[in-house]
Amino acid sequence: MPLPSVSVESVTKRFSGHTAVNRLSLEVSAGGIFGLLGPNGAGKSTTIRLIMGILEPDEGRVSLFGSAHGSRKLSARIGYLPEERGLYKKMKVLDHLIFLGETKGISRADARRRAQAWLERLGISEWALKKVEDLSKGMQQKVQFAGALLHEPELVILDEPFSGLDPVNAQVMKDIVVEIAASGRTVLFSTHVMEQAERMCDRIAIIARGETVVSGTVAQVKAGFGGRHVALGFSHDKPRAEAILADRSLIARVDDYGASAELQMVDGADPEQLLAALVHAGVGLRRFEVVEPSLHAIFIAKVGADAAIAHAGAAA
Amino acid sequence: MKKIIAVIRREFVERVRTRAFLISTILLPVFIVMMAVLPGLMMSGSDRTSRVAVVDASSVGLGPSVSQAMQSEKLGDGSSTRARYSVQVFPATAANLAAVRDGLIASTGFSGKGQKDGWDGVLVLTDDTLTSGKLDYYGSNVGSLDSMSKLQRSVSTALAGVRLGKSGVDAALVKRAMAPAEMDTTKVSDGRLTGQSGQDSFLIAYFMGFILYISILLYGQQTMTSVIEEKSSRIMEVLTSSLTPFQMLLGKVLGVGMAGLAQMAIWGGSVFLVSSQRVHLAGIFGMSADAVRSFPIPSMAPGLLVVFLLYFALGFLLYGALYAAIGAMCNTIQETQQYAVFVTMSILVGFFSVFSLIKDPTGSLGVTMSYIPLFAPFTMPVRWSLSSVPPLQLALSLGLMVLALLACIWLAARIYRTGILMYGKKPSWRELLRWIRA
Repeated sequence: MPLPSVSVESVTKRFSGHTAVNRLSLEVSAGGIFGLLGPNGAGKSTTIRLIMGILEPDEGRVSLFGSAHGSRKLSARIGYLPEERGLYKKMKVLDHLIFLGETKGISRADARRRAQAWLERLGISEWALKKVEDLSKGMQQKVQFAGALLHEPELVILDEPFSGLDPVNAQVMKDIVVEIAASGRTVLFSTHVMEQAERMCDRIAIIARGETVVSGTVAQVKAGFGGRHVALGFSHDKPRAEAILADRSLIARVDDYGASAELQMVDGADPEQLLAALVHAGVGLRRFEVVEPSLHAIFIAKVGADAAIAHAGAAA
Repeated sequence: MKKIIAVIRREFVERVRTRAFLISTILLPVFIVMMAVLPGLMMSGSDRTSRVAVVDASSVGLGPSVSQAMQSEKLGDGSSTRARYSVQVFPATAANLAAVRDGLIASTGFSGKGQKDGWDGVLVLTDDTLTSGKLDYYGSNVGSLDSMSKLQRSVSTALAGVRLGKSGVDAALVKRAMAPAEMDTTKVSDGRLTGQSGQDSFLIAYFMGFILYISILLYGQQTMTSVIEEKSSRIMEVLTSSLTPFQMLLGKVLGVGMAGLAQMAIWGGSVFLVSSQRVHLAGIFGMSADAVRSFPIPSMAPGLLVVFLLYFALGFLLYGALYAAIGAMCNTIQETQQYAVFVTMSILVGFFSVFSLIKDPTGSLGVTMSYIPLFAPFTMPVRWSLSSVPPLQLALSLGLMVLALLACIWLAARIYRTGILMYGKKPSWRELLRWIRA
C-alpha cells in the first residue's frame, strides 16, 4: 500500500469567532482525481490552505507524501493554484512563468523552455511578451494554471480551477487535469459544481460547515446513499404529473428542474408503478430512466438546501 | 539559495525596467545639486552691491571711517571683484537724528527696480556707538545672517581704528595691525595629511548623509510598497507555498537594494566621468580651464569610501527589513503611515545629527549615536571623514550593526510569516507581539 499523497487527520482550524474546519479527516491516495466538494463557506479553501501549510491547524495533523515536513519543503513535488488568483501585474507573461518555475527550484533555461511549451499549448504564446495586466481574466487564469504545473509536480492542488472560465477554456483545463491523472499523478481539486466532479473524480469528499459529510469513491458514495432513483424528462402536459409527484407513499424526494426532474423512490416502491401512473394521467414523457443518484442529488440531500443558502456569500 | 537569487533577480530587473527608475535616475542628481547649492546661496547673502545710507550723528566723525571701512569690502574673488557696499554719509545732529533717519527709512527696502535711488539699509551712528559699540541698522536684508555678520565686522574694524586713532596710534600702524588672518585648513588622519581641506570634508560629510537619507527613504518605501502590492494582488499565496518568509524577505530587500545601488553606480560613474573630463568639457562650453578648476569636486579617500559603502549597505538592509515588516503588517499604503512614521523619524534624526556632528565630530553625542544601529550609518562615515575614529569603536559599531541587522531580519521574517496572509484588519500591537512569539 503506497503512502497517501495527502493525509489530513482530524484537523481543526478556528478563526476569531467561528470554526472554519472542525475535526476534518481526509485521505487522498496516490494517483487519480480527488474532488473536494462543498457549498460556499464549507471550509474547502481553508482545508486546502491547511494542506498547503499556508495556515497552521489548531489541532490535528497534516502530512504530505507521508512526511510531516510541510508543503514548503516538498514544494518541488506540489503544484498549487490558489482560489485567489494573483500574478505580478507589471511582469511579462513569459518572465513571470520563468520566475514561478525558479521558485520551484528548476533552472532558468529549463523553466523558459517549459513556459514556452505551456503557452503554446494553452494557445496564448503570442501574449508571451505582453504584460500580465494586458491579459483578460481568463487568460491570466491560464497563465497561473501553467505556473502551477510548470515543474511537473506529482501532486496538483487546485482550488476552484474552473470558476470564471468560459466553456471552451474550461474544457482545455479539464483535458489537462485528466491527462495529469492519466500519467499516474495525483490531482486534488475543490469545486461546488457537482456535475463536473461527478464526471471527473475517482474519489470525492463532500464537506459542509467544516465537517466531512460523506467521502469515498463516487460509486461508494452513490451506493451508500441508497434508494432507487428515477430521471424524468417531460415533453408535454407536465402539470398533470404534479399530483403523482406529490404522492409521499411513492416518492420520497423530488428535485424539479422544470423540463426534467430527478426523483428518489420510497423504499419498496416500484418504478413501474410510477410509470403506469404517469402514462395513465396522460403526462408526455421523453425520458424515463432508473438511475444512480447524481452527486448533485446526494449533495442537496446531505447538505440541505438551507445550509447552502445560509452560507452563501460567506467566503468559501 | 537559488530561490533567493531568483527573487533578487526579479525584484532587480522589474524595478530597473520601470519608467520611474529612469526618471529618478535623471532627476535626483538635479535635485541633489539644488539641495547642495541652494542653502549655500541662501546663506551667502546677496551678490550685488548694497546701497547703505550712513547717518552720522556722532560728534567725532565716525561716519567717514565707517564708510571707508565698508567701501574697502569687496564682493567675489579673483578678477571680477566689485564693491560690496555703495555708501553715502548723511551728517545729523542729536536734534534732527530722528527726522533724517525716518526720511531715509521711508525710501528703504524697495526692490531694486521699484525705486531706483532706494536704500538697502540705513546705519545709524551716534556718540554712544564709539563708547559702548551700540548702533542701529534698519534694512531689508536683516534676515541674512551672513550679510549682517559681514556688516558688523566692517563696522567693528572701523570702530577699533577710530578708538586706536583717538588713543594716538598711527593710522598706518592701525591698518597693518588690523590686517585679517587668513587660514587654510587641511585634515589630518592617522598622522598623515589627507589632502582634503576642511571645506572638502564638510562637503563629503554632507553629501554622504544626504545620499543615505534619500536612498533609504526612496528605496525603503519601495520595499514597503512592493510587499503591499504582493499582498493585494494575492500573489503571496503562491509564493508562500514555495518560498520561506526569510527567502522572500531577504530576496526582496537585496533586490530592491541592488536596484538602488545600480542607480547610485550610474550617478557615481557619471560624476567621475564628468570630473575627469571636466577641463575638456568646459572647453566645449567655452569656459576657461582655470574657472573650472576653481570649482571644487571633492575626492573621497579609499578608506572613507570603504567605510561609507559598508555602513551604507548595512543601513540600507536594516531599514529595508523594517519597511518590509511594516508592509507585511498592513493592507494599504495609508495604513503603513502609522508605523512607518517611527522609521522615518529615526532616519530624520540620523540625518540631522550629521549637522551637529560636523561641528563636533569627536563629541560624546557622535560616539553614542555611532553605537545605535539605526543612526550609525549616518554618523559613522561622517565621523570618519571629519576626524579619526579609533579602530575599536569602528569594530564595535560595525558589530552592533550586524547584530541588529540579523535581529531585524529575524523579527521581520516572523512578522512576515503571519502578516503576509492577513487580509482585512490591521493587527494591534498585542497581536503583533503574538505573531513574533508564535
